[in-house]
Amino acid sequence: MKKILLSFSLVALVAGGAQAQNKELVVGSSATYRPFAYESPSKEIVGYDVDIIKAVAQKAGLQIKIVNTPWTGIFAALNNGDVDLVISGVTINEKRKQSYDFTAPYFEARQLIGVNKDSTAKSLKDLAGKKVGVVTGSTGDDIASREFGKTSPDIKRFESTPVAISELANSGVDAVIGDNGVIAFRVQEHKQLKTVSDPNFPKEYFGIVVKQGNKALLDKLNAGLAAIKADGTYAKIYKTWFQSEAPTLPAQ
Amino acid sequence: MEPILWFGWFRADIIAEYAMMFWRGLQMTVLVTVICIIQGTALGLAIGLARLAEARHSPARQICRYLLRWPSTVYVSFFRGTPLFVQILLIHFAVLPLFINPTDGLLIAGETARSLKQNYGAFISGVIALTLNSGAYISEIFRAGIQSIDRGQIEASRSLGLSFARTMYHIVLPQAFRRMLPPLGNNAIALLKDSSLISAIGLAELAYAARTVAGAYSRYWEPYLSISFMYWTLTLGLAWAIKRLEARYGRGDTR
Repeated sequence: MKKILLSFSLVALVAGGAQAQNKELVVGSSATYRPFAYESPSKEIVGYDVDIIKAVAQKAGLQIKIVNTPWTGIFAALNNGDVDLVISGVTINEKRKQSYDFTAPYFEARQLIGVNKDSTAKSLKDLAGKKVGVVTGSTGDDIASREFGKTSPDIKRFESTPVAISELANSGVDAVIGDNGVIAFRVQEHKQLKTVSDPNFPKEYFGIVVKQGNKALLDKLNAGLAAIKADGTYAKIYKTWFQSEAPTLPAQ
Repeated sequence: MEPILWFGWFRADIIAEYAMMFWRGLQMTVLVTVICIIQGTALGLAIGLARLAEARHSPARQICRYLLRWPSTVYVSFFRGTPLFVQILLIHFAVLPLFINPTDGLLIAGETARSLKQNYGAFISGVIALTLNSGAYISEIFRAGIQSIDRGQIEASRSLGLSFARTMYHIVLPQAFRRMLPPLGNNAIALLKDSSLISAIGLAELAYAARTVAGAYSRYWEPYLSISFMYWTLTLGLAWAIKRLEARYGRGDTR
């Protein structure tokens, strides 16, 4: 018994030592968010977010490991220390800023509504009284909750965008609200669906998230992000994934 | 809303803000559980009897074998051998759209299908999946219960001229039911807890309410601890009801 315990503690020691040396940072990302982060057929996590964080890490001299973390538990994982930073299409907003620290923006986002082709909805207001699908705790959830009431039974919350879109394709909901990149991508997979852009939706930005007060890491990430924006790496990655020129992002 | 702290860390105001959702979620959980217990027991009894069907002479012998025993065995094997979560997703996103679909539903189509799916889609899928699943488990409880009754009882009853159905109804099932109560109670409690899996397809029950709150506030203690106590209270109530039933039907045993 003693031997077993000893070998266990040895393993723990070795593992702990290795970690301290490499300082490999764990990056949490929910890989159900194509084209930002998704699993390739060979089980690798790929996407725009992944390319960005890899480029940033390279510039900042950080060792990283990307771990697929479900969206609903992603902030808990950050709080627990299971992951050191999160890059998962996280919109920077005031409420989140109270609990976490964000880097400068790396993507300009806008909410988009996915509906059936025969729908006449032109804006969020037209969805009143209809069933609206969102991803739990997402910006779309926020917008719908503000418009229709937090506890409204008309809001249907799902774990991920693909599930919400499936529900829309099966007519389980009338509309799905989500981030433009993902909604546009998913809607083109179903020919009976279309997207609607509400001009009243504000511009939003995605940022990389770290635990509140982790200034050392935040500074490194910001420096790396500034570096890839300056040397054109950022524009190249943007073009690869969105087939258009990168917009100029605010510095903060 | 001003933060209200209990014990210095529990944000009670969050729960209060979503109180309506928790209340409706609780009702939904209870409703789904009650429906599935009733339907699952009925289905379990039918399947359990089908698995025991036997006849001596042709063609009843072949009918029992190929139309009753085999299909019911495959059914039980499938629903016990695959995860409930997978069954829920399969039924909701694959099987149900085949039958209820606005464009080309086999059973219901058009506007009725649309409104049915939007208002009760997750509920229908969830109840079907949970009923089919618990039916498989309950059928095994019935089969074991019936088989535990001495064959002599059936033989005696049949030789007195009672039909198979009356033998089951008057002689075997009343005795078997007493032995089946504890495992049935277990199953009912499991069913209550398993109903939380239906939240994945968007049914607004207890787990869904907690997930919504966790998503909105990135706080996990408050919502999940709250629903834990609600589930616990419900299972305690169920356990108490089963104990009462056992005492009621067990009277014959204590002489």
